[in-house]
Amino acid sequence: MIQTNTNLKIDQTLVQKTINPELIKTTQDNECDYCEVKVENLNFFYGSIQALFNVTVKVREKGVAALIGPSGCGKSTFLRVLNRMNDLIPGTRLEGKVSIHGENIYAPNTDVVNLRKKVGMVFQHPNPFPKSIFDNIAYGPRIDGLKDKVKLNEIVESSLKGAALWDEVKDRLNEPALALSGGQQQRLCIARALAVKPSILLMDEPTSAIDPLATQRIEDLIRELCSNYTIIIVTHNMQQAARISDHTGFFLQGEMVEWGETSKLFTKPEEQRTEDYITGRFG
Amino acid sequence: MKTEVINRVVLTEKKTSEWRSYELAGFWALRLTLVLVILILGVIVFDIVSKGAGVINWEFLTQPPRVGMTEGGIFPAIVGTFYVTLITIAFAVPLGVGAAIYLNEYAVQGKFTRLVRMSVRNLAGVPSIVFGLFGMAVFVKIFGFGPSLIAAGFTLGLLTLPVTVTASEEALRTVPRAYREGSFALGATRWQVVRTVVLPRAIPGILTGTILGLARAAGETAPILATGAAFFLPHLPDSIRSQFMALPYHLFIMSTQHHAISQVRPIAYGTALVLLALVCLLNLAAVLLRKRYRDKVAKGL
Repeated sequence: MIQTNTNLKIDQTLVQKTINPELIKTTQDNECDYCEVKVENLNFFYGSIQALFNVTVKVREKGVAALIGPSGCGKSTFLRVLNRMNDLIPGTRLEGKVSIHGENIYAPNTDVVNLRKKVGMVFQHPNPFPKSIFDNIAYGPRIDGLKDKVKLNEIVESSLKGAALWDEVKDRLNEPALALSGGQQQRLCIARALAVKPSILLMDEPTSAIDPLATQRIEDLIRELCSNYTIIIVTHNMQQAARISDHTGFFLQGEMVEWGETSKLFTKPEEQRTEDYITGRFG
Repeated sequence: MKTEVINRVVLTEKKTSEWRSYELAGFWALRLTLVLVILILGVIVFDIVSKGAGVINWEFLTQPPRVGMTEGGIFPAIVGTFYVTLITIAFAVPLGVGAAIYLNEYAVQGKFTRLVRMSVRNLAGVPSIVFGLFGMAVFVKIFGFGPSLIAAGFTLGLLTLPVTVTASEEALRTVPRAYREGSFALGATRWQVVRTVVLPRAIPGILTGTILGLARAAGETAPILATGAAFFLPHLPDSIRSQFMALPYHLFIMSTQHHAISQVRPIAYGTALVLLALVCLLNLAAVLLRKRYRDKVAKGL
């Protein structure tokens, strides 16, 4: 129900801005024009333990969506549903429908490898490969079969620029990536994900292992990137969600309690449980 | 009952200094066991080196035996051991590493993989003579290789498989999950993950384990006894179907089967020394390789 409210709201703003009745029609007819990720009645199980309960949400194209909630509430599980990383864990099971770009990603004929190229991921702990900076960025294009040196150089440069790391590393591309600082390593991982040219970036608490200054740089970067990518970020840090996200979802015990515009969710939450959490009554 | 209680009281009342002297005695007992182990090893090595070094010269290493194996060198045995080890590598490394990759990276972990792992580990405890007889039955007879380098190499390969598989699996398991996940998240297929991220990290461990396994195989006599090792050959093996002379078997002959054992004793010692040096060399290679890769990993490349 919350979902419909938000959609209505967006439609109204569209009407106000464009005064174009045609547009309302198209957005209604073809929701996927602005719904990059659409999840319906998602239930997720680790063996016999249910981790997600009936999650329904639509994430708009571009912008930042933040997922908040206490530890073990299913935020990361939800995130890993979107690029099917949970497939790697034996005994997991999923019910419901998850569509990206209008395609059901759990359909039997889905190419998981292609899906993961479209939906990039950045992890909690920076995990550059024990290779050079260049080889880390070139990893994705290379496994895709790209051998052309000139093109690889271009991709490495544009990806590093995209992750605001180019100026710091351009003179030492052949040095080991593990010699970089934690914050730089995390931006390297973002650059590595960008090199595959995804449209969605999933970030699983990307700043929780990084110092405050480096965190700020990554937050700035996320704001820059969100004009070209749809970013879905899991964070423990409510201030971070408030600072950088356009929409926020609040997870509690495997349920998505509330989903809405960040400004609204943090000022006038509709659910008592959301209010309790963001005001620090628990969690 | 009463006496027990009394005893306990007495025990606790013993002076701590007395306990300390017990502990000290225990310490020295442990230290003594270590000294004993080193001493035994030292005696063996000293015995072989002191009695074998005298016969080792260029001729001993490069000439075949002469005059009913009472003179000359052990060149064919060195070459034979070298060849048979090559075949062992060619057989055991792809098979062992492949099995380990499948078990650790592909197979769904469960009862079946546990059973396979247990079997492989138990295989390591099978006496080498059993491997030898199995090799004779399967490679020499059923496959029709005859007594040959290839039959012996395969038999030794089987013998090293448990070591190769187990060491490779251990090495694969030490590769951090974060690397695998990072690679999968970039759209790598499972094989790409293994080839580009997992194997480069696991290779030092795989190599070390494999070389140690080979070192053991190179010194084995029983498995080659019935599968291709020859008492004496006037020429070097010219194909993988040839029989061959091998260091451990030569040593066995020279010390137990020869018609003039006391006369050829120095040759036996020389052979033992060469075999010992060869195995040490292989172990040293394992250590150096491991160190080289460790340094590389430490540098993060």
